[in-house]
Amino acid sequence: MQAIYKKEMKAYLHSVVGWLFMAFLTAFIGLYFFYANLLNGSPYFGYSLYSVSLIFVLTIPLLSMRIMAEENKLKTDQLLLTAPVKTWKIVVGKYLSMVTLFTIVMLASCILPLIMTKYGTVNLKMSYVGILGFYLLGCAYMAIGLFISGITENQAMAAILTFVFVLATQLSDSIVGLFNSDSKSNFVVFTVLAIAIAGILYLSMKNIFVSAVSFIVIELVMIVLYLVNSSIFDGLASKLVTGLSLVTPFADMVSGVFELKSVVFFLSVIIVFLYLADNSLKKRRFN
Amino acid sequence: MIKVKNLVKKYGSFLAVDHLNFEVYDGQILGFLGPNGAGKSTTMNILTGYLSPTEGDISIDGIDMFEEPEKAKALIGYLPEKPPLYLDMTVYEYLWFVAELKGVKKKERFEEVKRVIELTSIDNVKDKLIKHISKGYKQRVGVAQALIGNPKVIILDEPTVGLDPAQILEMRNLMRSLSKNHTVILSSHILSEVSEVCDTILIINSGKLIRMSSTEELLSEFTVEDEIILSVKASYKDVFELIKDIKGLKSAKEISNDGTVTTLSITWQDTGVDVKDEITFKLAANRISIVELKKEKKNLEEIFLTLVEKSNKVSDEEGEENAGYL
Repeated sequence: MQAIYKKEMKAYLHSVVGWLFMAFLTAFIGLYFFYANLLNGSPYFGYSLYSVSLIFVLTIPLLSMRIMAEENKLKTDQLLLTAPVKTWKIVVGKYLSMVTLFTIVMLASCILPLIMTKYGTVNLKMSYVGILGFYLLGCAYMAIGLFISGITENQAMAAILTFVFVLATQLSDSIVGLFNSDSKSNFVVFTVLAIAIAGILYLSMKNIFVSAVSFIVIELVMIVLYLVNSSIFDGLASKLVTGLSLVTPFADMVSGVFELKSVVFFLSVIIVFLYLADNSLKKRRFN
Repeated sequence: MIKVKNLVKKYGSFLAVDHLNFEVYDGQILGFLGPNGAGKSTTMNILTGYLSPTEGDISIDGIDMFEEPEKAKALIGYLPEKPPLYLDMTVYEYLWFVAELKGVKKKERFEEVKRVIELTSIDNVKDKLIKHISKGYKQRVGVAQALIGNPKVIILDEPTVGLDPAQILEMRNLMRSLSKNHTVILSSHILSEVSEVCDTILIINSGKLIRMSSTEELLSEFTVEDEIILSVKASYKDVFELIKDIKGLKSAKEISNDGTVTTLSITWQDTGVDVKDEITFKLAANRISIVELKKEKKNLEEIFLTLVEKSNKVSDEEGEENAGYL
């Protein structure tokens, strides 16, 4: 694990990528801090971070696209996978290298709320809970980026997929707002979702029978539920998105609400995606 | 040392490795021979734990590859078909990383990296970035990487590809010296190369084991009669008259004639007389000048092709696209 971690740190710091990531993030945090908190005198550092979080759309793919895909492309995964090392150690080593770069930036930005206290009263607890939320959100996106990088050999593809995923998550609340909340349109949304699930099943298993059966089963269950009690579907899509959204707990935290369940939620997202990345690494052996 | 039982690997419906069984003993150098696409690399990838087989078992020094993969992998050094190199590292950095990855202790790491650099003679490029060194050196760095940690088993997939003739000789010597302390498996699609280094040869085609026997046995079985090719400035008749009485001579056939130079193929039985000497003396005594005299070598590639073709005929239904081309 240590060997991988050191190697990745070197790779980031010997190339432009690591520096670019840190510079980009620091610059944006600094910019919003300067504009919103210093010039306009807003005492809420968390709200600046909330605006900055959109920059994850670019910075996360920048950092995560090569982390696994490059090994797959250069076939250096053959070295890692034939070395006497457990695969999860490879994944965690790589993940920690990304988190380290991010941690450096976040530690630096911990100074900013203290600067604000010079000019007025600042709720420090609220500011630092916001920083923690921002940090956890970034770490969760990195785990997702790492997973996406691991399922492809193509860095550009990994970057695009991560970009789309982060963007969709960031905008999920407003996207859900576009749907009607009545049961009929929700039913349609979930039918589309069922088709998507069937499609993913087909892509990963190449078995038309399994995916067709699973689609029919999901659809039948939904029809029965709809006929029995159509009110179940009222606003279901938005409930689901809010429940799974990374942005909801983040929004809570930047507004100063510290809840253990938000932290646990982020940590579980990280663990789940690292676990998936480990599994996809193991699964490569069966292809 | 290595036991392979009933190994099967399917890619979709394509059978890449078809019920392979073999055993490699301590200190053996085994040559893996087969045409391109025969399943050599797939088998090696499975042996080293990079791929999982569809069926079958592998044990390295009594340790099962699938039950205790970390332990088994620690016994193997592997050079894949494409050396797994990080192009942005220097050679030294890279080998240091591999040593750390393989769990070589910090105190011993320096010595270990130094040892493999000396063994593969890459000392003069050790501070260069890997992307800047030549293909031959990259290949050697790949071998150096496999040697780190002094594993009992060393598996090399086509180790001499991309090397110049001098480097090939060096690599062969290296492999021979390795066999003193290691069990070595190497693959190639060139029989002469494998027979130079290996004591046992395993031939596979379309994923099936065709033949596994010692190099000597394989070569002696296919030995052709002794034959020389002789080109002289004289007519066939004159030459034949002169040499027909030499003891042991079996046949003398005319192969070509361009007016001044006649080329003959001459075969004989071994009777203790050196037929080449006799022919030269007789021709010289009659002032017939020799343009060329060469001993026809036993053509190893032909042996290999014969075996591969035989196996293709046996399994005709899946044969054609995998037919043995070199």
